[in-house]
Amino acid sequence: MYNLYQQPAVAFEFGWDVGGPLLLIVALLVLGVPMWVAMGIGVIAMLHFTEVLPLHLLGESLFEGMDAFALIAVPLFILTGDVLVRTGLSNKLLDIAEATAGSFRSGFGSSTVLGCGFFSCISGSDAAGCAALGRMTINRLTNAGYPRSYAAALVASGSCTGILIPPSIAYIVIGLILGISASTLFVAAIVPGVIVLISIMVANVLVNRFRGYENSTQKFSIKHWLKTVWNGRYALLVPIIILGGIYSGIFTPTEAAAVAVVLIITIGLIQGTLKLSDFPEMLVSSAKVNGVILPTVALSLPLAEALGALSVPQYFIEQVLSVTENYNYILLLIIGILIIAGCVMEAVPNIVLIAPVLYPLSQQIGMDHVHFCILMVTSLGIGFITPPIGLNLFVISGVTGESILNVAKYVFPYVFAMLCVAILIAFVPSISLVLLGR
Amino acid sequence: MKALIQEFDRNGERWLLLVFYAFVVTVIFVEVIRRFVFQYSSIWGEETARYAFIYLVWIGAAAAVKDRAHIRIDIIFKFLPPMGVAILYLFGDIVTLAFACAALYWSFESVETSLRFGAATHGLRINQAWFTFAVPFGFSLILIRLVQSIRRDISDIRAGRAPFSGRKLFG
Repeated sequence: MYNLYQQPAVAFEFGWDVGGPLLLIVALLVLGVPMWVAMGIGVIAMLHFTEVLPLHLLGESLFEGMDAFALIAVPLFILTGDVLVRTGLSNKLLDIAEATAGSFRSGFGSSTVLGCGFFSCISGSDAAGCAALGRMTINRLTNAGYPRSYAAALVASGSCTGILIPPSIAYIVIGLILGISASTLFVAAIVPGVIVLISIMVANVLVNRFRGYENSTQKFSIKHWLKTVWNGRYALLVPIIILGGIYSGIFTPTEAAAVAVVLIITIGLIQGTLKLSDFPEMLVSSAKVNGVILPTVALSLPLAEALGALSVPQYFIEQVLSVTENYNYILLLIIGILIIAGCVMEAVPNIVLIAPVLYPLSQQIGMDHVHFCILMVTSLGIGFITPPIGLNLFVISGVTGESILNVAKYVFPYVFAMLCVAILIAFVPSISLVLLGR
Repeated sequence: MKALIQEFDRNGERWLLLVFYAFVVTVIFVEVIRRFVFQYSSIWGEETARYAFIYLVWIGAAAAVKDRAHIRIDIIFKFLPPMGVAILYLFGDIVTLAFACAALYWSFESVETSLRFGAATHGLRINQAWFTFAVPFGFSLILIRLVQSIRRDISDIRAGRAPFSGRKLFG
């Protein structure tokens, strides 16, 4: 459907007709113009100067780029996260996490991260989860002895798993761009996602060893654990239905999301935690998140298409291969590009823009396509907590009132931990492929 | 009439979003149930859900313009006096306005094409223009919200008030 790989008629020569529009995008971004608009203006400028594609392509792509059943999963998975919070089922998930990990030495921290992981199994976005989890857990963490800014950094990092653990908007979009089924990617993403989650827990445990923020005195009791799990049985039912349904092939991700939304709403209405009068607020706030994410996709598509028609990806591959053909170096280069890209832009538009450029390169060096997707999303995921525009840092600073700079100070152990995991995933392809049986 | 316009100004996008969102969720859910219970899917279900989703996207974008919630790199805003921030917001709105005009123009062109050739959709067999209209409709709303926002910003700058920095999207 998306035509990002047409064979170019002419060889690419780098000039102002391409560089100018790209610079314009950067300049507009720096001046605080909304991201989707900056990209839109860049597309118009590029199509105008290079005349590689007709300008009315823009008008069409605003419609046709969005005309995909798989993309409907995006608003639906945003909504699952929202209804989960409003029905209070997310608290149940946190309780289960605390009953499970609370008795370890860094128990509160670890159970918060585990809670983020549970939440990620239901919600597809990470910023909404970050806000919700921040509101629920920050006070508990500060009471346990963590400084507020550190607790904020911990939650921001834990919420990164929102796009790394399926279901995830990032995997839906990359699957759509590269023509890989999102269900396959969801299966492959489990192990890497869990490893990231564990790495964040480990980082917290290590920091806690040195700083001695908390020392849990809670005792693990199997009775208490079973009771909490029983109390949260409905909350646990939701990820089972979503993931079970997708993995067994009963549902497509879009359908699974719709079923989950209806299910959680039904549970909420029956238990009385959700009122009909909550609906407008709930749907409208999710719709706004959707209206922020998808225009960036809609406008990075024609930009990627124009770059493809100008044979920028081929030019890029030739340049890289003329320097080195070493598999390891190129892999490191890919990670480096993705991390820098993640620092300056959001994950979803990054995927649309960069995947068509890096994917052919990864094919050149013989990388598996699923492995490439997992590496890409994991590396970009780091961008959620790197200054200057790590989205989670902004969200958590909005929720807690801690300044971004204070939170950013504490976030480095987690950036490092996730970086290690990204490198691990890059060099050990079987992490990404083990569940696919390859 | 005036009351109606005021109500639309206050809550227009909200009601539209509510309707389209509820429609998307319901239709997809019903299709799943239909497939399980009756082993059959309708020809219009997936199609209408897809088109309602496109309306949802662009109306949602308008709602986000109203709330000034679109993602931007606002790191330099933190180092500027309120007046500088106000001017950058104004600049962003004007650039968005220019882009929205262009998008409106080209998206109307594709609606016009569907009208002229009478292109029908696959499932419902009705004119595609009903659905391609989603984009110009969304951008018209965006334009209205931008004009309002620019007027508000200019009067804020004149009166020396701090600029509207947007409602928080999360939290």
